[in-house]
Amino acid sequence: MSEAMAESAPDARVDINELPGRGFLNVRLDPRDKHAVKSAEQVLGQAMPLVANTYSSGTHRVYWLGPDEWLIETDAENAAALSGELGEALADFNVAINDVSGGHVAQRLSGPESRTVLAKGCTIDLHPREFGPGQCARTALARATVLLAAGSEPDSYTIIAARSFTDYLRHWLTHAAKK
Amino acid sequence: MLLIECPWCGPRAETEFSYGGEAGIVRPLDPDALSDEEWADYLFYRANPRGAHRELWNHAHGCRRWFGVERDTVSYRIAGSFRLGPAGSETGKGANTERDD
Repeated sequence: MSEAMAESAPDARVDINELPGRGFLNVRLDPRDKHAVKSAEQVLGQAMPLVANTYSSGTHRVYWLGPDEWLIETDAENAAALSGELGEALADFNVAINDVSGGHVAQRLSGPESRTVLAKGCTIDLHPREFGPGQCARTALARATVLLAAGSEPDSYTIIAARSFTDYLRHWLTHAAKK
Repeated sequence: MLLIECPWCGPRAETEFSYGGEAGIVRPLDPDALSDEEWADYLFYRANPRGAHRELWNHAHGCRRWFGVERDTVSYRIAGSFRLGPAGSETGKGANTERDD
């Protein structure tokens, strides 16, 4: 990401970095089916977040996307194997598991001004009291659909968006950080 | 800007949503039995009330789910949102927490 760093003003106080080597799985299942949820959790080794707008951290990150939809962020090299393991464990349930690694890119936004910069293009309340560690939201950032997650450190965010929006978002964030 | 409460994600700005027209339009079970007038009424004619209006919204930038909103077409005040169940069984906000599919 030397290009992004070159674009950042030296006093921007915001860092934008693409997270390399991330893989993504989209999982659809009915959360009322406790056995399906448990089977998925056994494979993942961590909780499937059932509360809206939250994610669980562990070996992977599991983001809540909707009432029956999740996004699993894992190592790119592990995505296909994990997809296979989940498919096997959930074969008897009504589920859909799709490897969407190719279509998504994760970027990390950090630095003391990151919340101010995000707030320029995002309508949700980003104050840590409302949007703290463990919380995520699929929302619009500068009119692009993104999955925004608050990191465990203050003023650090993960932005997962469609690959085709990545350059646009990076340019927008870089520009927003300058003013 | 309207603040619309998504039944799953909570209150979000209007720009995250797309509008889907009047709620509660039920497709006729036997379209062949309808007259042209009745079919046209189902396809094209809507109540367009002045005042309380139950309408469909989609949380396009969020959880991507369809849900219902009751909005006053004069004041734009939103009385509440509701989840959609099977046709004709719309339930009040919070009542239909388990999906019926």
